[in-house]
Amino acid sequence: MNERLRPDEATSALAEIARQQDKAIEATLVPAWYWWAVAAGMVAIGAAVDSHSAVVRGVVITVAVVVIAGLTAAMIFGSYRRVRVRSNELLGGRGAVAIVGFVWLIVGLTLGIAFGLRAAGAIMLGNRAGRAR
Amino acid sequence: MTPARFDELIHSPTRLAIVSLLAAVEWADFKVIRDQVGLSDSALSKQLSTLEEAGYVQIRKTFIGKRPRTSARLTGAGLAAFKQHVAALQQLVERSGVTVLPS
Repeated sequence: MNERLRPDEATSALAEIARQQDKAIEATLVPAWYWWAVAAGMVAIGAAVDSHSAVVRGVVITVAVVVIAGLTAAMIFGSYRRVRVRSNELLGGRGAVAIVGFVWLIVGLTLGIAFGLRAAGAIMLGNRAGRAR
Repeated sequence: MTPARFDELIHSPTRLAIVSLLAAVEWADFKVIRDQVGLSDSALSKQLSTLEEAGYVQIRKTFIGKRPRTSARLTGAGLAAFKQHVAALQQLVERSGVTVLPS
């Protein structure tokens, strides 16, 4: 133990360690513009489906899927090449289970609500095609 | 429990920043370390060499196409030394009775 080190210096060093580790994790995070691009792609697909035009549907869906898939691959492999987080120590088994559980919860709730509404005879209010039916 | 051992080599502010970053990752590209820590290429090379000589860091040079890519990772000894250093800092803070509030 270094007896010359003051407690406030040790505190600062611990804060610096936490700051650097946060930065390391941030370097692997997906940038906000990616999520906006995915959202725009989803809206475009929805609008194309509602257009009732086979040509528009074919073109827009193809372009949107290619763009989203390309961006996703670039995000994954770009980040993977630059830095790889020590996930087993930072995330841990409980963290991984929590993420998978959350995804299944969302999927289960969405499907449950959708089938429930359909069984109840509800029209799809957010969908032009559903309203027209 | 990790034994506490203050490490003079790691405690230097620049090396502490580099080792802290590397402790969070399996490995990191040279450019990522340089940008995150805010060092010049030559300064980072010098610090990485010091850590490599101590056996704390492993430097890997690969080629992506024709472009050389340098990356670094903490060795087992480096990670152990970092954990022991953190334990020593925490011990010092705890003994002093200082309360650290989250910012």
